[in-house]
Amino acid sequence: MDIFLQQMVNGLTIGSLYALVALGYTMVYGVMRLINFAHGDLVAFSAFIGLSVYAQIFGESVTSLIAVITVFVFTAAIVAFVGVLLERLAYRPLRTAPRLSAVVSALGAGLVIQNSVMLIWGPNMKIFPSNLFPATIWEIGGIVITFTQVMILGLSSVLMVGLYFFIHQTKIGTAIRAVAIDQDAAKLMGINVNRIVMIIFIIGSSLGAVAGLFIGTYYRGVTFDMGWMYGLNAFVAAIMGGIGNIPGAMLGGLLLGLFNAMITGYISTQWAETFTFVLLIAILVFRPTGILGETVAEKV
Amino acid sequence: MMNKTSLIAIALLVFMGFFPLFVDSAWLAVGTTFLVFSVVALSQDIILGRAGVFHMGHAMFFGLGAYTTAILNVNFGLPILATWAPAVLVPMLVAFVMVAPIIHLRGDYLLVATIGFNIIFIQVLENDIFGLTGGPNGLFGIDVVRVLGFDFSSQTHMYYMAFILLGITLFIMRNLDKSKFGRAMFYIHKDEIAAQSMGINVRYFKLYAFILGAGIAGAAGSMFSVQYSAVSPEAFNVTQSIMFFTIVLVGGSASLPGVLIGTFVMFVLPEMFREFETARYLVFGVAMILTMILRPRGIWPVRFGNIPDFLKKGVK
Repeated sequence: MDIFLQQMVNGLTIGSLYALVALGYTMVYGVMRLINFAHGDLVAFSAFIGLSVYAQIFGESVTSLIAVITVFVFTAAIVAFVGVLLERLAYRPLRTAPRLSAVVSALGAGLVIQNSVMLIWGPNMKIFPSNLFPATIWEIGGIVITFTQVMILGLSSVLMVGLYFFIHQTKIGTAIRAVAIDQDAAKLMGINVNRIVMIIFIIGSSLGAVAGLFIGTYYRGVTFDMGWMYGLNAFVAAIMGGIGNIPGAMLGGLLLGLFNAMITGYISTQWAETFTFVLLIAILVFRPTGILGETVAEKV
Repeated sequence: MMNKTSLIAIALLVFMGFFPLFVDSAWLAVGTTFLVFSVVALSQDIILGRAGVFHMGHAMFFGLGAYTTAILNVNFGLPILATWAPAVLVPMLVAFVMVAPIIHLRGDYLLVATIGFNIIFIQVLENDIFGLTGGPNGLFGIDVVRVLGFDFSSQTHMYYMAFILLGITLFIMRNLDKSKFGRAMFYIHKDEIAAQSMGINVRYFKLYAFILGAGIAGAAGSMFSVQYSAVSPEAFNVTQSIMFFTIVLVGGSASLPGVLIGTFVMFVLPEMFREFETARYLVFGVAMILTMILRPRGIWPVRFGNIPDFLKKGVK
């Protein structure tokens, strides 16, 4: 029972990270019908940016709440800028092109980001400072929860709930939903589609940046090619929930995190990815558009 | 009919035929692999370019062919010649069993499901299932082709075998374009709903494309395992699948010269720039983006417009 609860806490932690990354995929897909294959590499990139920001501003000194906030805000800003740049250079010229051409462009952009990280920070694993968060550990009935885990669970819940209200309650959120439903009609209603796409990339990249920093603080070691693995898992989470659907990405992320933790805890780590994809395919056989995806008839 | 395209094709054929006479062994190996990869890319094109099914797990079928030959030869001592048929049939069977339940999925969902199959395949190989696959190291010591006491063992023999395989594949592709199956795939790609309402069984033809593509990729895989006399999982991982996917789209989907150019650009050019090891893939990524922006339909897009050739000539 202890293992079960412990794996549940670990699973929810990883699941929140997947959900944060999955939101980036799903928002871009919802508006542009594009699988942004570069998003995973952007997440890896943000972990390295965070590392450099920390080293530049604070050196090796003791950390405080201000330091942590500064690192997060700076990293999110830089990564959001790169995300917008990515859209401007690699995706906008292809908005009217065949859909798969944009996918190839995204794959190319992923290669560029991944190899830039390798050239800037080197091919070896970098270690995150251990003192970014206090090493406090709580033990509740035999389950160990670290301060980092509490931070991950807390901040990602706040961000996800905030995003949900932003999309559903604000004027910009309404515009985003309108563009997702029909770009041309939204344009006729006076919505600046390019601006909405830019906002999408700012939000998606910043969430990815937060996830990248958390991956760094939680697992400590970061490599230039880790983006592919986290990106793929998050993308699978987005597909499970129904791509284009924001609550779907959150649900898919948490579900996948829990499932992964249970598989690695009880069955085997060697076959973890196989189980992930068997679950995905099983979901798709019974719900072809994911758990929360709507079954919309295709427009002719 | 001697138009410009067929002249280029003949010139290229002659060049490729005499290629082994004026290169060293390293480049001959690159040439052989180019031919094998072209066959795989063409089979990927049947699925992705012609039937229009988003498929990003083609290295799995390539690997299934390679591993079928390797396992039958190394573990069971069968001659290579006897493994050819299983190397084609096993990928076809796997394609049918795996893809049939999910072929109705919409584009991007199918894309991630096929990536999933590829990842499962790699895990099966790496975990050395039933002690057959040799785990992460793969299998070594695959035999060469022997017919009636004659050994096709030199690099030049390998090259010409791959050359013949490519010839057969191109022949199949030409016939496909003129057949009922090719026409059905063309319509499905153009407009799936219209094709369905004209009475084309979309599910059947998409599955047909998958199985045909898997079989051809399996044949190429068998050739690949004999060429290197070894197989290992990383030659068939998702990165390879992404390469085949990109080859088709960078070259030009449903276009034979396009796919061959794509293979050249994505495989041979990086081999030429090996000395720029570190920055190579950075430039490569930029080149992929630029190609798509400047030529969204590929370097050599398919020639016919909205009216296919067989309609202009009249259906027999």
